[in-house]
Amino acid sequence: MKKKSAIVGIVFWTLVSFLTLFPIYWLFVISVKPAVQLFSTPDIILSDPYWGNYAKVWGDRLLRSYMLNSVIISTGNALLCTILGFLACYALSRFNMSGKESIFFWTITNRMAPPAVFLLPMFLLMTTVYAVGEWSLLDTRIGMILVYCTFNLPFAIWTLRPTVDGIPKELDEAAYVDGASSWKVITEIIFPLCRPGLAVTLILTWVFAWNEYLLAATLTNFNARTLTTGLSEYVTTTGTEWGIMAAISVFTLIPALIVFGLVQKHIVAGLTFGAVKG
Amino acid sequence: MSFAFKIGASALALTVAATAAVADGHAWWQKAAEPYQGVTIRGVTESSPPSLYIREVLAPQFEELTGIRVDVETTSWDQMFDKGIKDMEAGTGIYDMVYIEQDIIYSYLARDFLTNLTAFLADNPDLQAPNYDEGNFTTFADYFKDADGNLYGVPMEAFLKVYLYRKDLFGDADIQAAFKEKTGRDLVPATTHDEYSEIAQFFTDYGKENDLELWGTTAQAHTGHVASWYEYYESVAPTFGVYNWGIDADNNYAASVANGGAMNGPEAVEAMTWWLSMRDIAPPESPASTWTEVGTTFGAGRAAQGLVYGENAGWIAADDSKSLVVGKVGVALPPLADGVLDAAEAGEGYIGYYDGGAFGMPHSSKNKEATALFLQFIAQNEVQPDWAVAAPRVTHTATYDDPKVVAFNEELGGYYDLIRDKGYLFAGAPAYPFHAQVREATAPIFYQILTGDLGVQDGLDQMATAAESTLTELGYRK
Amino acid sequence: MQSKRLGWIFLAPTLVILFFFGVLPFIYVVYVSFHQWNPFAVNPEMVFNGADNFRQIVFDQAFLNSLGVTVLFVVFAVLSELILGYFLAQAFMRDFPGKAIFRTIHTLPLIVAPIIVGSVWKLMTTPSIGIIPHYLDEWFGITMNIGTSATAAFATIVIMDVWHWTPLVTLTLIAALVSLPPDPFEQAQIDGAGKRQIFWHITLPMIAPAVVATVFIRLMDALRTVDEVWMLTGGGPGSATRFVGVHIFKEVFPKTNYGYGSTISVIVLYLTIVVCWLLYVTMLAPRNKKD
Repeated sequence: MKKKSAIVGIVFWTLVSFLTLFPIYWLFVISVKPAVQLFSTPDIILSDPYWGNYAKVWGDRLLRSYMLNSVIISTGNALLCTILGFLACYALSRFNMSGKESIFFWTITNRMAPPAVFLLPMFLLMTTVYAVGEWSLLDTRIGMILVYCTFNLPFAIWTLRPTVDGIPKELDEAAYVDGASSWKVITEIIFPLCRPGLAVTLILTWVFAWNEYLLAATLTNFNARTLTTGLSEYVTTTGTEWGIMAAISVFTLIPALIVFGLVQKHIVAGLTFGAVKG
Repeated sequence: MSFAFKIGASALALTVAATAAVADGHAWWQKAAEPYQGVTIRGVTESSPPSLYIREVLAPQFEELTGIRVDVETTSWDQMFDKGIKDMEAGTGIYDMVYIEQDIIYSYLARDFLTNLTAFLADNPDLQAPNYDEGNFTTFADYFKDADGNLYGVPMEAFLKVYLYRKDLFGDADIQAAFKEKTGRDLVPATTHDEYSEIAQFFTDYGKENDLELWGTTAQAHTGHVASWYEYYESVAPTFGVYNWGIDADNNYAASVANGGAMNGPEAVEAMTWWLSMRDIAPPESPASTWTEVGTTFGAGRAAQGLVYGENAGWIAADDSKSLVVGKVGVALPPLADGVLDAAEAGEGYIGYYDGGAFGMPHSSKNKEATALFLQFIAQNEVQPDWAVAAPRVTHTATYDDPKVVAFNEELGGYYDLIRDKGYLFAGAPAYPFHAQVREATAPIFYQILTGDLGVQDGLDQMATAAESTLTELGYRK
Repeated sequence: MQSKRLGWIFLAPTLVILFFFGVLPFIYVVYVSFHQWNPFAVNPEMVFNGADNFRQIVFDQAFLNSLGVTVLFVVFAVLSELILGYFLAQAFMRDFPGKAIFRTIHTLPLIVAPIIVGSVWKLMTTPSIGIIPHYLDEWFGITMNIGTSATAAFATIVIMDVWHWTPLVTLTLIAALVSLPPDPFEQAQIDGAGKRQIFWHITLPMIAPAVVATVFIRLMDALRTVDEVWMLTGGGPGSATRFVGVHIFKEVFPKTNYGYGSTISVIVLYLTIVVCWLLYVTMLAPRNKKD
């Protein structure tokens, strides 16, 4: 009986995994085809791979700098959002501030804005207002880290709120009775208990930042361009370089996969937004 | 050989060649650039082969010669416009050079975004390179001049949207015989729309009968991308005598027939009906095809003939890393309705699209002097031939006669000859400062004609109305 | 209990960042939405035109149409993701060999950037050449052409979205299911409740907050969808997949219709907030207040 259900499970999940993996597999297939083969009859089975696209991508110094920018911006943004989100959630959860539920809801409205139209004011603010002399926030990594907060910070707050809420208040109260400072309570009691939730928030905000395209395309030029904007360079009037785009995409999956793999366990343990324990 | 590789290889070749050719001028460039040592100038452009050639070959060379660094941001077609416009509109000065596609120049001139290069060089004789001369350019440069003949952009690419056909198929004795039997005519490139239809139908049937992945024509007929709108207005409507989108600039920008325009006139309807009938016998990917897929379709050998952008004609005819029809491509003038050729000869019309772009210098540039030097550098006759081979485009009259270019012209099936000899019959986009605005206002209706949700006449009527109301809203139509 | 000032200090960085990068741009957009402004008009300056843009929007067939297809898309996509995600989460609750590997595989689509998702699906669905239409035709004789069939294009985008985002829903629901206390279920089984009864009366109410929060995030992200659709169909065929995100993009990017584009955005943002607020006050807020 037990054995049978194990087999059913494996068969079922193999099928699901096939569907899940197929587009990613196809991405790989495209990346190892020369352009001349792309418009011929498709073959599911890969034969005679061509590695020229990877050679081109690997040899491109610009792409390497895009990769570095992407890593710095996503990591910086994910860390910033997770920490600030955690502090904000602690405040919302533990302090009796007036209007805090409205503030909580308001934060998420920042994620709802249709991005296209906000690009112009962002551009104007970053070039003229957030500028000192010759220096401006436009086309800087720190600028992009801050801009990405508009969608990631609300997400972090909404993901972490139930986690922080779920930690019994009696714990901090007991610590205060023992004479601990607020800082100590946060870092030594709340923080460790939230670790799984924090890991999930970190990884998901990282993924959202890593995948963002439209804002980066408009708000970076030379110094802070990210990989997703690098991809759009291959969509041109003389044709889209599908093979190279796919090869870059496969490259972008690798860091993401590493980061994602590392925190797999925490995700399942920590993704509890909404799952408020009574 | 792939173009990417060619760019790399010719970087070397060019360094050697240019060193010799420009040897006399060498000292001049260094002296002129002396005050601007260490300056970095920045440009934005589409990541097309000619632009990549600037980034990979010409810019490093210029830096080595002058000590002025050139950063070229290459991006996608839609991003490029937006970024240039935002910068110039806000006067930020991020860019010292912007790519100006021929169809947007009138918008930029109307807003006075660009520096008058003719005047700028006249005012700064120290910066005027001895081997730079506006007279070196082909007539394509005229599109970047104002009414007084002042130049606002240095042309860096120019193409014709031409009629490509498969020489191997057209020259095949069996096919010729079959065609003759079926139609009673010889199989030669079409000069009229009826001939074109006949050939297209023949090859589509031929593909079906012989179980080949072959159709009689391409169609750039995407149902959600402006590429289809462009194919109709640039390359199909003019061959039926509908010019400038059917909008009459001298008549209060009228679009509808009722007001004196031609957007929904009988010729426009005929053109649209004909084009749709071609779309229907084109490969199945056509309704999802932009210029990208049309190039790929032809390069994959899936079409016997078609109207293809010159940007793509180059690699289709000569780049075997991307194309299956290398050496099998012929070029010709597009099929025309009666009287259109005469009108074009007389300068009263045109038979297709002369497409291309230039580099301009925004007013907001903070390094105008250094930029002017670079723009002249890429405009030298000496750098043109290798560029024309690495990324097929010609902007200078002298380039046609260079031995390398003459040889390459053979590979391209005489494409460069066609530009030189027949280029005058083609025209760029109409001189409208509202190019993208009217296009976007009418395109959604246009797509509905393509999907069949609207009839041809009904759809064109609605487009004419939408064009007029947008023009009124923008203040052009009184 | 503690000083409220400390709470505000913790909250301050968040508020400051969201003010400078969220509120200020929003104020600007609202300001522009009351103007006629196209830099390529005869008069390139901003011209105040009161509520004209807002009046125009009510009769704007193109906008209303795009709103309609967006709602349809959101309903189809988010509902499918929810149902599918729930069943997959339930399936993960059982133990079977290789579970960790399968779970990793199942989360992979999340790390593919939307612009890449759009590109891959475009190549897979290019009429007659893409692998999906090719084998649909060869094996089943079905013609699928996303360039001509509105249904095919719309369905492809829904399926693409489901492929991309179901893993997020699965993960969320796994977390919710894992944290359920076992007692009510045991009690129900003793009382002889059926599977369906258990689902409707015990499981669903208990995971409702997680479900709502997930719907919430997916809803607002689906409403903003641009990149994938831009790559795949460009909004076509016709306007079958011209979702509001794409519509706004076309309005403000190529058409440079900044004034009216801002108006549309303000309206869309307002509608989104209203919908989310209703969800929030009916489902989530009471639970948060309880603490």
